[in-house]
Amino acid sequence: MITLLKNAKVIDPAHNKNGVVQDIYIRDGRIIAKPADSEKIGQVFDVNGKIVMAGAIDMHSHIGGGKVNIARMLLPEYQEMRRMQEPEAHICGANCSHHATPNTTDTGMRYIEMGYTAAFEPAILAVNARQAHMEMGDTPMIDKGGYAMLGNDDYLLRLLSQNADQKAINDYVAWTLHATQTIGIKVVNPGGISAFKFNERRQDLDQQHSYYHITPRRILQALSRAVNELGIAKPLHVHCNNLGVAGNFQTTLDTMGASDGLPMHLTHIQFHSYGTEGDKKFSSAAANIAEAINKNKHITADVGQILFGQTVTASGDNMMQHLNAKVANPKKSVIMDIECDAGCGVVPFKYRDENYVNALQWAIGLEVFLSVDDPWRVFLTTDHPNGAPFTTYPHLIRLLMDKSFRNDAFDKLNLDAQAMSNLKSLDREYSLYEIATMTRSAPAKLIGLQDRGHLGVGAAADITVYTEQPDKEAMFAKPDLVFKDGELVVKEGKVVKVVWGATHTAKPAFDIGVEKDIKQYFDRYHTMQMQHFKISNDHIAEDGRNHVINHVQGA
Amino acid sequence: MTLVFYRRKRETNLDMINTEYIMHACPACGLLCDDISGDAIARQQFSCGKAAKFYARKTTDAQPQVDGRPVALADAVKAAAALLQQSKAPLVAGSSTDVHGARALVSLANHTGAAMTHLNASSTLRNMKVLQHRGWQTTTLTEVRNRADVILMIGTDVVTHNARFFERVVWVDEAMFTEPGARQIIYLGGDKLKTQAGVAPDGRAPQVIACPPEHLPEVVAALRALVMDKPVTGESVAGVAVNTLKTLAATLKAAKYATLVWVSKDLHYDHAELIIENITETVVALNQKTRAMGLSLGGSDGDTSVNYAHTWLNGVIIDAPNWQDHDVVVWVNSFSPEAMPAESEVPVIVLGAPDSKFSTPPAVFIPVATPGLDTGGQQFRVDGSVTLPLTAAKPSNVSTLSQVVAMIEKVLGNKGGEA
Repeated sequence: MITLLKNAKVIDPAHNKNGVVQDIYIRDGRIIAKPADSEKIGQVFDVNGKIVMAGAIDMHSHIGGGKVNIARMLLPEYQEMRRMQEPEAHICGANCSHHATPNTTDTGMRYIEMGYTAAFEPAILAVNARQAHMEMGDTPMIDKGGYAMLGNDDYLLRLLSQNADQKAINDYVAWTLHATQTIGIKVVNPGGISAFKFNERRQDLDQQHSYYHITPRRILQALSRAVNELGIAKPLHVHCNNLGVAGNFQTTLDTMGASDGLPMHLTHIQFHSYGTEGDKKFSSAAANIAEAINKNKHITADVGQILFGQTVTASGDNMMQHLNAKVANPKKSVIMDIECDAGCGVVPFKYRDENYVNALQWAIGLEVFLSVDDPWRVFLTTDHPNGAPFTTYPHLIRLLMDKSFRNDAFDKLNLDAQAMSNLKSLDREYSLYEIATMTRSAPAKLIGLQDRGHLGVGAAADITVYTEQPDKEAMFAKPDLVFKDGELVVKEGKVVKVVWGATHTAKPAFDIGVEKDIKQYFDRYHTMQMQHFKISNDHIAEDGRNHVINHVQGA
Repeated sequence: MTLVFYRRKRETNLDMINTEYIMHACPACGLLCDDISGDAIARQQFSCGKAAKFYARKTTDAQPQVDGRPVALADAVKAAAALLQQSKAPLVAGSSTDVHGARALVSLANHTGAAMTHLNASSTLRNMKVLQHRGWQTTTLTEVRNRADVILMIGTDVVTHNARFFERVVWVDEAMFTEPGARQIIYLGGDKLKTQAGVAPDGRAPQVIACPPEHLPEVVAALRALVMDKPVTGESVAGVAVNTLKTLAATLKAAKYATLVWVSKDLHYDHAELIIENITETVVALNQKTRAMGLSLGGSDGDTSVNYAHTWLNGVIIDAPNWQDHDVVVWVNSFSPEAMPAESEVPVIVLGAPDSKFSTPPAVFIPVATPGLDTGGQQFRVDGSVTLPLTAAKPSNVSTLSQVVAMIEKVLGNKGGEA
């Protein structure tokens, strides 16, 4: 059956289309060229005057896995009992949820209602990947995928400390992608999570790891080179050392140079853009960071905007979260060392606009957004739920698109923070085209999803239809229609059909001979068999809802 | 090696032992030892009594029953659905299953408006109360295996629950960051502890600080105070010399990676969550200057899997509702034929291990496959971060819990959540 979206006002930056009025034809879940007149059109949606974009893609959102589920367990006081309506009730019933710690059904439903059709879990501990996939498999409506964490695992640190050649590292990285069914590689506080297990409390970029005698810079070099040489589309996803520390902007600037010019993505960069100026020794370094991003074309970044309210921070960075636990609100937290592989730290936070540091964090995020020139290299995230729940995206979009709305919000901030920010001098207002770039075309390109994030012939028919409104928050909160793989799933902001999406992976070619060494490591030191560490396509597809879509790398 | 394995298998040819995977993971306790070969199963050679018992089970020829009479599966399903249809307040209990089964039970609870609990809910909730009150700082088995130089077990010997803990985690041949044979093992309090497992390979005996279980709360509170450098007056606390506790506090502080172990099931008295919190807060205090971590062990009957899956599906942990408030109980025991509900006035639907034994026949009995024996599955280890695939060690054609629940839901029709 062919579905036709008639008179769509298309915003599709991948094809340089900014408001071009055209018809979109869909068959078997894909966008097709205009069919012959003889072919029957089964369904027509007249979208005359409506804005039509590809489905949005969240390239960094903690939607599943160990620390996300710990956050749910930790915070029963924020769960609200809700009565669901059909069809959501059919799979979820009377459930409990909070936007910072949504259950899996809630996650999928709230994303699709905003026109998002995919989200990527950015911190999959390799050893915990099976759990992450089980949770993502229970997340309806959207496509999923994840980045596997390396760089604090003892296997890699041993290789580096033994001066192993790059090939051994490349093979291990590729093996990890296969074993964990992920699409990219992330490094969190390179070396720092491991160092914390040896009772270190900080790990600087050029400081030797106390046991392995290698530096985080070396870890970043090795991993970015592996990603590059394996032809993996997604650049190395980097959570820098010194998260949240005043003065950490210098670490962030230095990290940009650590890959020797190879592509690198710096994540939740707002948390890494802090200076030490002013009475309180905490200031914005957003201008320095934005200038460096503008200059260094190999660098991309997502912001990790904070927004005010109750949330919870869930991170692999147990070293820094152990420090942050002192300011937990409410006063409780979970810190874990995990399987000589990684760690995690879950710390509830309440960001308050009257608090100097929180207010300045809010301003710093927006300063970065408004000071980075190229929307293809800066991504819209709140590091859900760490800066704010993903459900705040429409509000964030309005802050970017509407200067007077933004300035009104700024005027309510802590006065000392206002004095330390140049936000009001930034006149930029994002256009719809730029928003479409940073939420559709750019993330698809970054992750290597060739058939997503655009509306060209052959693309998957993940499509969002909006009514253009002056209030951009209202516009992006409630699309008129959302199509997932060609099926109408949301109408007037409400889910009308439940679908389950797929899991996107990258499986580059590698020398399977590496398994001999990996198996030996498991047999000597681990408490599980290497065989059981690996996740099969069948495991992803179990219970019949999910399936793997692999993207050929290096093509 | 593989060849030998297959040859032996053919020779013995006991039952239908799956050779697709070289090793099976054993779900008989929370440790989920995944080094069980088909050969070991065929020859019934195990270093653990729980595993031996689990793999010795025969699960063939089970027949569904209604009121103790054998019936066809479809009729048993109809009878179960009829009971649920009439029920005003059903309860899903037992819930001994893997992640896939947990998903099915959450769905069934949703379709019928049932409350849901697990047979280990009381010990699970003891831990969860601490987590939800203060959080904690914990570690996992591979970290302990490679780092722990001091292991303090509080109120437990562990091996009663996890027989192979010392074999697989403590007295190992090699560790990356510590000398395994030199580890210091300390037992603090507990009842009839089996401390033999704590003897080092070179014959070095563990330290045992005896203290009756009912006095553990005071002793652990004193230990926490000493670790925090608070003054503790008097010469003894509940019969334990303060000097002994001072030495213990100093040992923990001097350790490179002290591991404080508890088993919630062994702390089975009123407000035992307070002692667990004193353990976890001792760890928090130690971590201000040195490194230490907590480790909660025990776990069985898929309790971790069911609590975790319930949490991500519903947003909240499992509950421990009152049986008296319910008029029909769905009792699920996929793993153990002995895990049976208490005598009850209300009709009970058992979705259970094929070899389940009843003193009184339940209203309905439908055999379901045991994950890891009859069928595959996925299961959480007790330390929570690791999930392992379960494989069918002796594949059988018994329906899985998910299949049976789907059949019941089909008869119930689309009630659509909160009807």
